[in-house]
Amino acid sequence: MSKSKVGTWEIGEIRFPFSEAFKLSLESIRKRFVRAAITTAAVVLGIAFLNSLMMMAAIQSVYTTGTAGAGIQTYQYWLLFISLLVCAVGITNSMLIAVAERYKEIGTLKCLGALDRHVLILFLNESIIMGGIGGILGYIAGLVAAVIYGYITLGGKGVDPFSVIMRAMLTPSTIIPITMPTVVALLVVSLVLSVLLSMAATLYPAYIGAKLNPAEALRYEV
Amino acid sequence: MRYEYTVETEDLAKYYYMGKYVVKALDGVNLKVRRGEYVSIMGPSGSGKTTLFNMIGGLDRPTRGKVYIDEVDISKLDAYELAWLRARKIGYIFQTFNLIPVLTALENVMLPMIFVGTPREQRIKKATELLTIVGLGDRLHHKPGELSGGQQQRVAIARALANDPAIVLADEPTGNLDLQTGLEIINLLRTLNKEKGVTIVTATHDLKMIDVSDRIVYLRDGKIERIETRAEVTVEL
Repeated sequence: MSKSKVGTWEIGEIRFPFSEAFKLSLESIRKRFVRAAITTAAVVLGIAFLNSLMMMAAIQSVYTTGTAGAGIQTYQYWLLFISLLVCAVGITNSMLIAVAERYKEIGTLKCLGALDRHVLILFLNESIIMGGIGGILGYIAGLVAAVIYGYITLGGKGVDPFSVIMRAMLTPSTIIPITMPTVVALLVVSLVLSVLLSMAATLYPAYIGAKLNPAEALRYEV
Repeated sequence: MRYEYTVETEDLAKYYYMGKYVVKALDGVNLKVRRGEYVSIMGPSGSGKTTLFNMIGGLDRPTRGKVYIDEVDISKLDAYELAWLRARKIGYIFQTFNLIPVLTALENVMLPMIFVGTPREQRIKKATELLTIVGLGDRLHHKPGELSGGQQQRVAIARALANDPAIVLADEPTGNLDLQTGLEIINLLRTLNKEKGVTIVTATHDLKMIDVSDRIVYLRDGKIERIETRAEVTVEL
């Protein structure tokens, strides 16, 4: 398939199928597992904080008023915002190191025919994988924390903590426009937020990697 | 399409500006490489070998002058066309091998074929063939970390040949290898050049390379000092 003609050449198509890019990203994460795990831990903490806060508020609200709705204080939203910001800065820092460490690899890929956007996709894939895993783990950790909180605060108050927690989890949530049980809504919010956050934080490092001039990238000694 | 000259440079120059100093890494290089030729570029470090390599390989843009690969002036290419040039027309071999560490030998050789869209079955077949040719038929699924330096360079050579490039550029291919392994790599390159007609340009200061080269280009301070054909060199020795 030819895209254009230059002199006597037929310039063909250059591609990097998603499955191949994804495989390479996954292998790169496995290779640098410890750092990937630390980066993911930042996401886990941020998202766990979000979930525990939301869930604790729901439990409290169901216990006091019988419905969800009474909720989170403004300052708590600020805390949440700051925690997610810190998490994003951590990811950016970690990905900047990951990109710098792989200058030579990026240069090599470009020698083999990779376009700027292929390099960008490689790093964004990694961020999606780490963000997704971090989101799920953070969601679980946050819920566990909230359940423990529920048992501790409701214990000995003449109510069955289990039924209150269950009601809190199943009450329709108001955090997203489409109403669904709080547990489900939190999962959706966690996943979307963690992946978007991780991608946004990786955009700048990935851009630097993608824009590298191959000659410079190859000259670079780690 | 058959081209007589695979590489042609015309008054090629690359200057680096460091504050008020100008470093003339290359300064007016005119070089023609015929199809099927084995050319070595020799010179002390800092003579501009690697810069010339980068210019011919489409990895960097010249300050002045032109580079033709298969009769096309590559300074006129846009980013997409340059990527295609690197994938299709040029095979690169580096001093530090530069294999992708997380991929096996087979996957490394298959990578350039992915970029040009070769179907998977064909990729596996071709990569296996090439690795067998370079003597690694039994190491297909090893990762670079599990291979010796010489073996890694063999994988890199197989990878360089994956898309049947017009030219293979080798920058100090023996620089990180011991004498014996270096000799093996040089002989492998020569064999590929003779038997498969691969055009090879190496930048080197390895004197062993002289024996196998059709021509030796001596570079000094960014200029061609002299060019010798192998017959002349043998007489000199």
